Amino acid sequence: MAVYLRRLVRRVVRLSPADCGVPAAAFSRLSGRCWTPPSCRRFSQETGEKNTHFGFESVPEEEKAKKVYGVFENVAQKYDIMNDAMSLGIHRLWKDALLHVMHPQPGTRLLDVAGGTGDIALRFLDYVQSQKERQTRRLARTTQSPSWQDISDNYSGQEDGEVVEAECRAVVCDINKEMLKVGKEKADNMGVSAGLSWVVGDAEELPFDDNQFDIYTVAFGIRNVTHIEKALQEALRVLKPGGRFMCLEFSKVTNPVLAKLYDAYSFQVIPVLGEVIAGDWKSYQYLVESIRKFPAQDEFKEMMEDAGFFCVQYHNLTAGVVSLHSGFKL
Amino acid sequence: MAINRLETQGRKRKKTSNMAALFRALRAGRALRGLGSGLAAPAAKPPCVSLKTGFHRTAFILQDESKSSKHSDQDLTAGTTLKDSISNPDAEESSRPNTSYQDQTDEDGEQYESEEQLQARILGAALEFVPQHGWTIEAIATGAETLGLSSASTGMFYNGAGDLVLHFVAQCNSQLAEILAEQHKQVQLGQAEPKKTADFLRDAVETRLRMHIPYIETWPQAMSILLLPHNIPEALKHLSTLVDDIWYHAGDRSTDMNWYRKRAALTGIFNTTELVMLQDSSPDFQDTWLFLDNRIQDAVNMATSVEQVQSTGEAVVQGLMGAALTLKNLTGMNQRR
Repeated sequence: MAVYLRRLVRRVVRLSPADCGVPAAAFSRLSGRCWTPPSCRRFSQETGEKNTHFGFESVPEEEKAKKVYGVFENVAQKYDIMNDAMSLGIHRLWKDALLHVMHPQPGTRLLDVAGGTGDIALRFLDYVQSQKERQTRRLARTTQSPSWQDISDNYSGQEDGEVVEAECRAVVCDINKEMLKVGKEKADNMGVSAGLSWVVGDAEELPFDDNQFDIYTVAFGIRNVTHIEKALQEALRVLKPGGRFMCLEFSKVTNPVLAKLYDAYSFQVIPVLGEVIAGDWKSYQYLVESIRKFPAQDEFKEMMEDAGFFCVQYHNLTAGVVSLHSGFKL
Repeated sequence: MAINRLETQGRKRKKTSNMAALFRALRAGRALRGLGSGLAAPAAKPPCVSLKTGFHRTAFILQDESKSSKHSDQDLTAGTTLKDSISNPDAEESSRPNTSYQDQTDEDGEQYESEEQLQARILGAALEFVPQHGWTIEAIATGAETLGLSSASTGMFYNGAGDLVLHFVAQCNSQLAEILAEQHKQVQLGQAEPKKTADFLRDAVETRLRMHIPYIETWPQAMSILLLPHNIPEALKHLSTLVDDIWYHAGDRSTDMNWYRKRAALTGIFNTTELVMLQDSSPDFQDTWLFLDNRIQDAVNMATSVEQVQSTGEAVVQGLMGAALTLKNLTGMNQRR
């Protein structure tokens, strides 16, 4: 109820300045098309259907989710290859940077939303595993030679290795089943199964209880969400107190020269790569357009603070091509 | 409630939304229950208020109210209550330290703390675990967990262990300042005798170093953390304020080079005594306090001998001048023609 009221307030605020992002008329609802004739726009203000952006197009809000689903359904199989090709492999560094800043402690529960192919979750499990190994090695170095009791415990510990690892859990949540399928196959090929779950869910309405997770990450996914504020609120809900929200997303490049180069690269090269490698021009056109539509670093920071996060900070990676936002639920 | 896992294969999307709808209904039910109990005993969980967000939050009063009713019957979390949201702008002036983070039944309700205060509380709680984990992020994580926060909140401390050590040093310094002020008050009221400078310095340094005793095992690690380049400015700042405080309460009001000389001397004494304490194994650190005594004695002797040398020097110079004048008179060179 409160959410509805808030939406109403926002709608009133948005409708007051007359701009081109006008809600669709009843026409569009009937026809399911995103185009509305200009004469009907004044009517639409009363009917209350909202439009949102789908790349540079304007579509009704309900449509956007379906369209995004379609995009990712098409690209799922070639998603990882395309990532490598488009970013020249730098996306791995970005994701590693995310893990490094996260610095997860043992026993942390991670929720990776829009995690699709599971890049972040797999890195997370890897990181925690290596941390644990480092810790045991450090202990082994400092302590005296182990007693027989310790040695036998170690052996029994190795048998229950899976149970111990499962203490650090990662849940990959995505709205798109195809992406999750690809991710699951990847994990199976890598032989990682302990401590990893795959869940279908909508970022605006997560199928989880309150206060469940220590860390909530969303890497390159939040710009595809129709209502980003709702996703932020859901993140706040499922996080434990003290939990951390981390968002890795394409953002505004700070350097103007680089910005020009980046624009040229995005609009000229990437859709071509998409056509050549994945056979899908339109999806990658949508991708680069959706990047332009996402709010800038400071604006997103304010959105996070509005949603209720504290100590919100962001780091620009690669001169602002990607930025990592972090906030806490306190 | 456990997370319900859904198989990704062979389920329609409709079922996903059904699941979400089920959760929504459950939450709504809990909210309704919560509303009833929420009105009776407003949740007292103090959200952290930063100066910037205080004004943002007043705009979303309704949202917060619904959140608080949802969480009021949960163990460790609660949103702000309606009262809390309204009085948010005043929180900057009247933020009081919270008594208990997990206290749900506190009738006062409007207890706030800023992010800095929460961070200070986490670090304070983490100090307990230092003997076990050392001055590390693990200690901070364990401290945060005792306060009911997730270990992910250690991400707030970008300096990691350095934050913990600097917090401890600052805490010790402020404790010492309080003790010295208290002693000063006692002297003012005539309840205690004023101490001689040497004794005063000795007692102050001893009190301050005794605060290290609970952590003496891991103190070398702490000192090495303080010596890291990015921590040095902060560490020097704390040291200089400490030394300044001690001299101020010792009654030093000098305004010349003595100001610097005295503080430099005391810094030297303090640092060397700290190092000696690390390797001291005598009962109750007797050797350390003996060392401290000797160093302070040295400093006092040095001061007096400097004075003596100065006055001797002046006397000698005057004597020489007098002899030279006598010579001039004798040889007749002093006459004006």
